Amino acid sequence: MIRSTSRRLALKGALACALAASLSFSLPAGAADGVLRVSAIPDEAPTELQRKFAPLGKYLEAQTGMKVSFVPVSDYATVVESLASRKIDLAWLGGFTFVQAKVRTNGTAIPIVQREEDAKFTSKFITADPNIKALSDLKGKTFAFGAPSSTSGSLMPRYFLQQAGLNPEKDFKNVAFSGAHDATVAFVAAGKADAGVLNASVWDKLVEQKKVDTAKVRVFATTPTYFDYNWTVRGDLDPALVKKLTDAFLKLDPANPEHKEIMALQRASKFIPTKKENYEGIEKAAHAAGLLK
Amino acid sequence: MLLNPADRDPAATRRLAALLAALAILWPLLQAAEVKPGALFAADNLKVIGGFLAAFLPPETGIEFLGYLGKATLETLAIATAGLALAWILAVPLAYLASGAGREKASLNPVSRFLLTLLRGIPELVWALLFVRVFGLGPAAGVLALGLTYGGMLAKVYAEILESADPRPARALRQAGAGRPAAIAYGLLPQAAKELVSYTVYRWECAIRASVVMGFVGAGGLGQLMDQAMKMLNGGEAASILLAFMALVMAADGLSHWLRRRLEKPAAPRAAAFGPGMAGLSLGLAAAVLASFGFLDIGFGALFTREAASSMGEFAANFLAPDLSGEWLLKVAKGAWETLAMSAVGTLLAAAAGLLLALGRPRFLFGLGLNALRSVPELVWATITALAVGLGPFAGTLALALHTAGVLGRLYAEALENAPAAPNQALRLAGAPRSIAFLHGTLPEVFPQLLAYTLYRWEMNIRMAAILGFVGAGGLGQLLYFELSLFHYAQASTVIAAMLILSVTVDWGSAWLRRRSA
Repeated sequence: MIRSTSRRLALKGALACALAASLSFSLPAGAADGVLRVSAIPDEAPTELQRKFAPLGKYLEAQTGMKVSFVPVSDYATVVESLASRKIDLAWLGGFTFVQAKVRTNGTAIPIVQREEDAKFTSKFITADPNIKALSDLKGKTFAFGAPSSTSGSLMPRYFLQQAGLNPEKDFKNVAFSGAHDATVAFVAAGKADAGVLNASVWDKLVEQKKVDTAKVRVFATTPTYFDYNWTVRGDLDPALVKKLTDAFLKLDPANPEHKEIMALQRASKFIPTKKENYEGIEKAAHAAGLLK
Repeated sequence: MLLNPADRDPAATRRLAALLAALAILWPLLQAAEVKPGALFAADNLKVIGGFLAAFLPPETGIEFLGYLGKATLETLAIATAGLALAWILAVPLAYLASGAGREKASLNPVSRFLLTLLRGIPELVWALLFVRVFGLGPAAGVLALGLTYGGMLAKVYAEILESADPRPARALRQAGAGRPAAIAYGLLPQAAKELVSYTVYRWECAIRASVVMGFVGAGGLGQLMDQAMKMLNGGEAASILLAFMALVMAADGLSHWLRRRLEKPAAPRAAAFGPGMAGLSLGLAAAVLASFGFLDIGFGALFTREAASSMGEFAANFLAPDLSGEWLLKVAKGAWETLAMSAVGTLLAAAAGLLLALGRPRFLFGLGLNALRSVPELVWATITALAVGLGPFAGTLALALHTAGVLGRLYAEALENAPAAPNQALRLAGAPRSIAFLHGTLPEVFPQLLAYTLYRWEMNIRMAAILGFVGAGGLGQLLYFELSLFHYAQASTVIAAMLILSVTVDWGSAWLRRRSA
């Protein structure tokens, strides 16, 4: 009896020591001393995002003289929250996530550049059901959006559905959030959802790479154009560094073979400067669709 | 055979009536859970699920992928170990405060009891989801979430174990002038030590399963990898991850059994209280905890800065003003009803299937089937059932039913094996057919135990049902995921409160039913 008490106490002691020791050893992961922390909304599979970022990261390292580290995340809101809590310095955001970041940083987050394509972006509605030919045929069907805070996979399609007189929560049988654009295609191709909507750029890429069977899954509607993705920095980043980063993106030239690879992976023909005002339309749509309160 | 009046079940009419009455009560639940068995057997659906499962073979074995897999497996193990260490640190003082053990008057401390309910009532997945927001990026969120929920559970069970020990030694010590800590340490701990350690080890095993689940919201480890593979319907990767997961769970199972068996054996008499085996174990434990924290590289220091405190405070403040507008409450009520239906119907289906599987012969084969069912986590089942029956509550119900059938089947089989054989044999010798002998000889003996197991599982399933919505099964989980993604904290706060109320209500209901049947 007494023996097992002391055994128990010994256990306690050992555990307490171990914890105390580990607490004192694993102190802060550190502030960004000479390290530029970059992240991106996970609108595609994380492995794909890292593959896309690798050459761009090297290029930014050369241009800024800083070590660039990519921080993968699995959730859109985490990127916004990390930018607001200054855990990352530069982020690839969607139009709506930029608006969220702006709100959460009291307007200090600064969009620096975007791809030329992002100024007139669209979303594609896809289905594998032969009976769905127009948005109105979606009534009573199951439907997959991307992530809830995706611009092209959730907000803008929802807004345009609303304009067409459809309320997803009331008119669809079930609404699901696949979490990412390529996952939406997988949902629809497998019949997990009757129809879905995704970013036109990712759809085109999947078609080019033959990762989707176009005999089965087809586009039946496309949204009007809107402003989407940009690269955003946190507001309190050193202005000289912000200038360096902006210039680095604007200098990218498809005629240069090294740059060509970076731009092909980013699916950009050219980077152009951008400003907060470009996203006022998205903000209005977000209020109208009830996604921003 | 049953046509012979002598062989008919004498209680048949009463039992049939009870069954019909139960079905009538359950009908609205079945409606809310959108149970449509037909969808399971639709040719289209079968083809889809067949295609997905066929892609499981061969499992992915690329070197790059195996590298990710190995790292994720270690991460899961480390999250569980570190999380449980944290839980333990939280649980010991809370159990001390909450327990009536060693007190002169058995006055329970309502504040710490409430704290325990709060910690346990919110599923670890929800804590993880919140912590991912505050601390972002990586396994810190998982460790803290496990620490809080399991801290609550450990504290409650520790408190109860201490209360159920023979109070006389402690009382004698107190009357002799000892303080409460000494009375507990020398009067109660010696009796309860085995049970306490055994339960802690069992919880560690559960923590491994839980840390996989938390990966689904981005807290790292195998779950995060699984989430990606499942979303992309990448069968080969899913198969490899599932295999790694099963191997991990089985290894943990084995280790936990071995440790608990060692505790059963009385220690050899020796002069020193602290034997070499115990010293080795303590060192091993300390090394494991240290290695876990080291591997995870959690910047705990960063958690205790003024900046972190203020951002956490701000975040928490967002939740203090839940949205109580009629419209939103109605929506949440509908979600809660769907969640309740999923958990109740899922548990019932599981109980029926579990009983059938527990009775199946040969035992070995059915035992293997039960193990397979329960080693696949509910969230993974949900991905597969969503392919079979489409998105919605029915997919969630089936997922719960499949996993729970595995758990209950094993518990039922054990209970049935341990049931006294005499009444059954007496009936058989008197000429009753096998079915009647089972219904009147064996079942009454074990029924209260089976019911208790089922109700305990229901308490766990209500928490699980609340989060299955994250993968498209509707209910409160889907509402929470959506509102949190949009930073609508007032609305999310209402949903979390609803989850808490629901799980506490189910706990009470289940305790009441257990008391009545005991």
